[in-house]
Amino acid sequence: MTRALLAAALCAVAAAGSSLWPLVAQTAAAQSRAADATLPRLPDGRPDLQGLWLKSAGGFQGLFIGSLDGTNFAAPGGGGRGARAGGGPPAAPRYQYTPEAEAERQDRLKRGYEDPEARCHLPGVPRALDQPGGLYPVQIIQDEKYVALLHEAMHDVRIIPTDNSPHPSNYWAWDGDSRGRWEGDTFVVDVSNFNGRTWLDMAGNFVDENEHVVERFRLLDRDTIQYEATVTDPTVFVKPIEMRFTLKRVPPEQQILEYSCLEGERSLQHYTDEDGGKKRRAK
Amino acid sequence: MTPSRIVRVVLSSAAMAALLATAVPALMAQNDSRPAPFAPARLWDGKTPDFRGIWQARGNAEQNIEGRIVVDPPDGKIPYKPEALARRQQNYRNRATADPSLKCYQAGVPRATYLATPLQILQSPGNFAIVYQDNHAFRVFHPEGRPHFDATDWWMGDTRYRWQFDTLIADVVAMTDLAWLDHAGNFHSSEFHVVEKYRMTSANTLEYEARMEDPVVYSRPWTLRTTLYRVTQPGARIIEDECLEDANGVRHHVSPSDPRNLLKADYSKWKQGARP
Repeated sequence: MTRALLAAALCAVAAAGSSLWPLVAQTAAAQSRAADATLPRLPDGRPDLQGLWLKSAGGFQGLFIGSLDGTNFAAPGGGGRGARAGGGPPAAPRYQYTPEAEAERQDRLKRGYEDPEARCHLPGVPRALDQPGGLYPVQIIQDEKYVALLHEAMHDVRIIPTDNSPHPSNYWAWDGDSRGRWEGDTFVVDVSNFNGRTWLDMAGNFVDENEHVVERFRLLDRDTIQYEATVTDPTVFVKPIEMRFTLKRVPPEQQILEYSCLEGERSLQHYTDEDGGKKRRAK
Repeated sequence: MTPSRIVRVVLSSAAMAALLATAVPALMAQNDSRPAPFAPARLWDGKTPDFRGIWQARGNAEQNIEGRIVVDPPDGKIPYKPEALARRQQNYRNRATADPSLKCYQAGVPRATYLATPLQILQSPGNFAIVYQDNHAFRVFHPEGRPHFDATDWWMGDTRYRWQFDTLIADVVAMTDLAWLDHAGNFHSSEFHVVEKYRMTSANTLEYEARMEDPVVYSRPWTLRTTLYRVTQPGARIIEDECLEDANGVRHHVSPSDPRNLLKADYSKWKQGARP
């Protein structure tokens, strides 16, 4: 076993040739390779997450107008809209608001048209990836320093450094500040510094500026990424929310398109009173 | 042959060369026969030139590209057709409100390149993308060989690229006629076609050239060229640029380091919600 590892390490170093990838990473690479030789990898041994990916189903926004209720959470029992479509009772909520936040949520529930995404604002995390299933792909480009997520939806961009560097102190953003690291074959991203404007879905579920997310990207096979996110926000939720869904590789003959939202936005009118929004809300 | 005659012959061929040199630039701009001035580092495939990094234009070309970065025609003026020139003058007069960039729209090609804000080139073997800080616009460059996706008009267009030695050549179409080329109202129609060239001229400079073609608006193709400088400060990054609405619903750029960007700052306004 030790010999196999050593041989793999030597191979990795030899294959590296004149490239500038550090030797330490090469050794780690060899070990990972021993762990799962079937995954595509970059020269530093990290799983190659690159490609065009599409969420297949699930997440907070599993339905077009989705919500935290009843979509497929990681919690035992799974929930999932499949269960609801089958005629069973709605899955029990996997989240619990603090009393103040619950009142706020009820208020926002009546004001769905104020969803910032309807105003073409950045969706935040995890909503950036948690778009309605099968609609908007994400292009991943990766090197030894960054994993970059180019989202079609809202042309949202996250260029995530992989050096586990600290969050800045004077930065507040819709997408927060993302710092990544590799834990074996799993890409773990710590996201903080949110500006507090984010809604988690189109049903008034929200977080504030105390939101903190840990995301885990794991390549299950060549064409599947498992995505997990743990959302913590002590001033909004009593305990952390867990979510999990998979991204499937998009066939190479398809390409990412442009999503120009603000430039010719026509969606907001669906939320307004003039357009029947009020009537719908009253139902 | 007397010595004086030899000198005269040399002089006249020098004069010839000078004449040629003035006639040829337009041709060179198209075929770029100039030698590569700098050999960039390679990606880990050992082949692909490595353009990765954060780059930024200097100067104020974004205010008006004419007379600044337009290199062909030599007078630095865009060769508008007469009626198009009238439209440009109108744009110029209305620029304080009509510039689409002020509405926080994506800047378009080539304008996004020479804005005052930086861009970041993301690359790996077989992948090339540019992320522009301005309004978090991005372009994924697709390898040439598959036809353009030309069924619609986009702000950032559809880009196909190839490498010619160490120069990246990109062909861009499918652009909306709503975009401007600068704050002075220079514009194009939806027949706009751009050929871009990116090449490194030193470790920290990237030359950008764009040849513009638009039979509706211009009387002939024209070219702009500018230099992008590598942002070398440690820890430099593209920051999030998302505009916020003011009380009148008009969007403004707010830095993520500005506390106004925090919801708390105007939470009451947001919560009361000026109804749309």
